Amino acid sequence: MESVAEIEQRIKRARRTFDDLRAEIGRVIVGHHELIEQVFIALVCGGHCLLEGVPGLGKTLMVRSLGETLRLSFSRIQFTPDLMPADITGTNMLTDDPSGRKVFEFQHGPVFAHIVLADEINRATPKTQSALLEAMQEQSVTVGGKIHRLENPFMVLATQNPIEMEGTYPLPEAQVDRFFFKLLLQFPSRDELARIADLTTAAPLSALREVLDAQGILQMRQWVREVPLADAVKDYAVRLVLRTHPRQETKNGGESLAQRFVLYGSSPRGLQSLILAGKARALLAGRPNVSFDDIRSMLLPSLRHRLILNLEADAEGINAEKVLGQIVTEVAEVA
Amino acid sequence: MSAVRDPLQVKFAELLAWEQRKRYEQVLTCVACAAMALALLVLPFHGLLPFSEQLRWFIPAALMLVIAPWFFYRWRWQNKDATRALVRVDKTLRLDERATTAWELSARAESSATAQLVFKQAAESLLAVEPRSLSPRQWNWPSYTVIPLFVLWFALLWFDADRPFLDRSRPNAPRTLAHKLLEFSRELQESAKSEGLRESLKAGQELENLARKNIDAKTDDEPFKKELAGVAKKLEAGGKPGADANPFSAGESQQSLRDLRAELEAARDLLDLPGGDKGARELPQQWLDRLASMPQIKKQFDKESGQGFGQNDLKSFLDRLERQATSELDRRALIDAQQFLEQMMKSGQGKSESSTQTVGRGEKESLDDDGVREKRFSNLPGKEPGKKDDGVNSLPEFRGGAQTQVKGLLGEGDSSGVIYKGKPTPGKSELSEQEVIANYRRQAEQELNSERVPEALKETIRNYFLSLGGGNR
Repeated sequence: MESVAEIEQRIKRARRTFDDLRAEIGRVIVGHHELIEQVFIALVCGGHCLLEGVPGLGKTLMVRSLGETLRLSFSRIQFTPDLMPADITGTNMLTDDPSGRKVFEFQHGPVFAHIVLADEINRATPKTQSALLEAMQEQSVTVGGKIHRLENPFMVLATQNPIEMEGTYPLPEAQVDRFFFKLLLQFPSRDELARIADLTTAAPLSALREVLDAQGILQMRQWVREVPLADAVKDYAVRLVLRTHPRQETKNGGESLAQRFVLYGSSPRGLQSLILAGKARALLAGRPNVSFDDIRSMLLPSLRHRLILNLEADAEGINAEKVLGQIVTEVAEVA
Repeated sequence: MSAVRDPLQVKFAELLAWEQRKRYEQVLTCVACAAMALALLVLPFHGLLPFSEQLRWFIPAALMLVIAPWFFYRWRWQNKDATRALVRVDKTLRLDERATTAWELSARAESSATAQLVFKQAAESLLAVEPRSLSPRQWNWPSYTVIPLFVLWFALLWFDADRPFLDRSRPNAPRTLAHKLLEFSRELQESAKSEGLRESLKAGQELENLARKNIDAKTDDEPFKKELAGVAKKLEAGGKPGADANPFSAGESQQSLRDLRAELEAARDLLDLPGGDKGARELPQQWLDRLASMPQIKKQFDKESGQGFGQNDLKSFLDRLERQATSELDRRALIDAQQFLEQMMKSGQGKSESSTQTVGRGEKESLDDDGVREKRFSNLPGKEPGKKDDGVNSLPEFRGGAQTQVKGLLGEGDSSGVIYKGKPTPGKSELSEQEVIANYRRQAEQELNSERVPEALKETIRNYFLSLGGGNR
């Protein structure tokens, strides 16, 4: 059994690692501090991220940098309409064995990496998109009746462009729900833009330092799950998730945004994400327990893609962020 | 590691006990506030409450006892309240829910290293904290309201603000003799003050003191009557004519005495009229002319056969007249008071004597048995002797039952008789003839004083009543 000192040491190490990672990625990525933290949280929670942002904001660069600093294998799949599932998972190829006999040999697809960048995932057909489903949920692929285990840790970072919707295939709800976080990339500020110009038009940077390996990540995943969570905080998270459902009554009896604009609320996976992310945030902040603030901070990335809004919301310009913002203000910390 | 957990649990217990105490104090304040508000609301319904008046002082306490269980059940201390209290502690000390987590983990007897770390970090901040200073009492609005409400309620009860409601809701509830006496004494004092009647004023004060003493002591009417008898004797002694000769006959009305006093005031100017020789034996003609315009003085002047009065003689004559008139008014007021007391002693409570026993004023104010003061005006202009009643006399409306008042019109000649209005009370009358006449005399004087009687007819009416010769009958 570990001692208190060891636990303290562990928390400090987790925090230091995260600080190092942030500093290292910060060398190539300007701004996006919150985004980097959330991606790392998803990583130590064993989740996948859906990154949404207009082209040129550094999505791919960030994912690539993350792979470099984590000493993990990295592969990139550019999703296009003609991409086939086998192009992702791999396929059985007919080859000659040393004795000259013809045999089928499994050729691993790009999904066999620690970090997979599924670039512009909504450009592929649903058939191809669904090839990722098993990989994301089961961390395995089945080809020719044979199950192939994926790397551990395994993380999919998918990107999609929110404005160029022509010729795209929106992700099915089942697949969206499998993403731990949906993260939005904001356009950089004036200062950040200036720094981006400096960084990208000067001499190339030296290679990024590796701050964590696969073993370290798996260890951190274990630590995250050991962070204690008070019943009061858990109850708060549960009530937040429940409030996303349109049939939940509000305290004051009035009609909330969720009641008016939400078709389906968050799934239980949303609650899992919320709590696990809260634990990871507490650990990375150097705390041994989860606070209400951890839960609140993780609410948007955990739940925004799990709320299915109705047409009225679309017509009135109501998005999930607005609905969740109202829920946070309405739900009391202690019932 | 129970070395950390145990003291922390003690601290949690201490913190929660303090919060619990604050909660019960707040509930108690709310109960008190609600009870006081209810006590104020039920003030008009005191008469409907099925217990004696003394117990009304305990109404808030009784209400508190009734509503307290509901309040304490509604706001009972629950587990979520403990959580809330600890979350507040976390916020105050910026512990990021360490206290809440530690409390829950300690309740679950968690002993993992992570739990111990939470205990340790929570203990570092919590053990040195004093609950009272960390979370001091906060007074809510009921706390600020309860004392003013209590003061208001106490003041209302102290000044018998519920009395009208009590009496109205209990129409047959007897008013004590002391209350009636108090009322009479106040009116007597007012009247005495306005007319400068010293003896009556003193008597009024004495009666008021007596009434107050008995009201405060809540004594019964019977022992009070004995005290009244003593006071009545005293008044009777004061009401007897003095040794010095008083020129006013018993038939002299109070109004004529008052008129005389008014004329005496005016006659003071006479002394300053020019042309008068202080040593002269005869009054100048202009003085005599002025005297002729003052009928009451003229009457007395004639009685004295004032021919040959000098100015000094006139002054001493006027002074003497004023003294005598005041003394006579004073004496009559004392007699009235004595009669009132005697009637009170005879009739006791529940009788309708008070309406005829008010001290004479410009208009008659009377109290009915309900204790409600109402103004009654006689619309009877009076009847000149010898003239026939044309049948348009309208008397004040009489009430039936026990409160029936018998009024009659007495006239000379053919039309004399008694008219009864209202439902007569079966049985024998308890009023003596003397009392009836005294009552009528007083009523007549009061009516005469009212503006409703034409000035020119006042003297005629007065003469008529004097001609009845109440004393002889």
